[in-house]
Amino acid sequence: MIAFNAKYQGVLTLIARLGLGGVLIAAGGLKAFVPAKAASAVAAYKILPTKIAHLVGYGLPWFEIAIGALLIIGLSIRMASVVSGLLMLVFIASIASVWARGLLIDCGCFGGGGAVDPAKSALVHRTYFIEIMRDLALALSALYLYFFPYGLFSLEKSATQNKES
Amino acid sequence: MSKQAKATKGGDNFTRWLVISMVALVVITGVVFSMMSSSTKANQSFSALKGFTLGAPVSATLDTAVGSGLVLNPGAPVRIDLWEDPQCPVCNLFEQSIGGYLDGLVRTKKATVVYHVLSFLGADSIRAANAMMCASDQGHYLDFHKSVYLVQPSLENSGFYSNANLIKIGDSIGLKDKSFIDCITKGSKLNLVKTHEDSMPSYKVTGTPTVFINNRLWQRKASGFDLGEFRLAVAAG
Repeated sequence: MIAFNAKYQGVLTLIARLGLGGVLIAAGGLKAFVPAKAASAVAAYKILPTKIAHLVGYGLPWFEIAIGALLIIGLSIRMASVVSGLLMLVFIASIASVWARGLLIDCGCFGGGGAVDPAKSALVHRTYFIEIMRDLALALSALYLYFFPYGLFSLEKSATQNKES
Repeated sequence: MSKQAKATKGGDNFTRWLVISMVALVVITGVVFSMMSSSTKANQSFSALKGFTLGAPVSATLDTAVGSGLVLNPGAPVRIDLWEDPQCPVCNLFEQSIGGYLDGLVRTKKATVVYHVLSFLGADSIRAANAMMCASDQGHYLDFHKSVYLVQPSLENSGFYSNANLIKIGDSIGLKDKSFIDCITKGSKLNLVKTHEDSMPSYKVTGTPTVFINNRLWQRKASGFDLGEFRLAVAAG
């Protein structure tokens, strides 16, 4: 396992960066230009006070795009990985909270969002599970990037520098 | 950390702060852009009321037996109860496809329509419901109801249904009476709004829009609201 990682770490880091960064940019890009939808989606979680939820809805897509861009071009990867890992944990906690409170919403992760027809509750619960698993996988990619931030095609540093830091 | 990492720390710090400020700049620009586009959109929505003409006044009574609903044209052979929240987007879809038909049923005295104005979506709903009931006192529930949906913002509880904007809606359609404006600013109907809201569980209303035709729940078969389907249901009674 360790030998495998040592051999392919540069490629694995690149894959983690492109995967995590790509998902963040896609998620942000789909929401950034429909601010009213994004703000409603955050408010639908009923965690934050409405006004603050709307602000988060306006800002979050741009934050995701910015962090995703850092990961893809390979700048400040370690910081970006910590931030995106924490972001994924927040997403997991939010979905779990919605699930526990019995709310039926579309997570609005990639646009959309808001309440869902109560008739579809079984489907929604399965979707919550899948979303949590997906965010967990992304959080693990972020964790990997924290330990091995330097890989192929990164603006920052070369692959050999992981061993030294 | 290795010696090499330490040696480059100063440079890294500079990059780090540069990156942090760039991210902050992107987010702040995004938030400002979003807030501006949302408020422009909300203000533009008033243009939907251009050329709106008030219909003939229709007086409303309260049905104290059924949640103090606003009864328009009592005594007709068919009774339709509509439970709605002014902020609910699905109620807006209902209004767009079936609202005009209900309006016609009242005005041509073919049916009694009872409106239950709910407000569970939040503070904006409560203010809008209050204003709708104020309009009802002026005999213009139908007109005001229609115009509230015409300007309905896609973002709930954004503060768009402020008393000032509700007065502006009234003003745009020709409701300029001082008693109407006072009723909105004083919140004169807030108790009635609460009575409507609190009556939901007694009639097993859990969402909006909910429609009863002659006290029987209307369950639509089409995925959207189909006027043809609704007409048949009303005709069947």
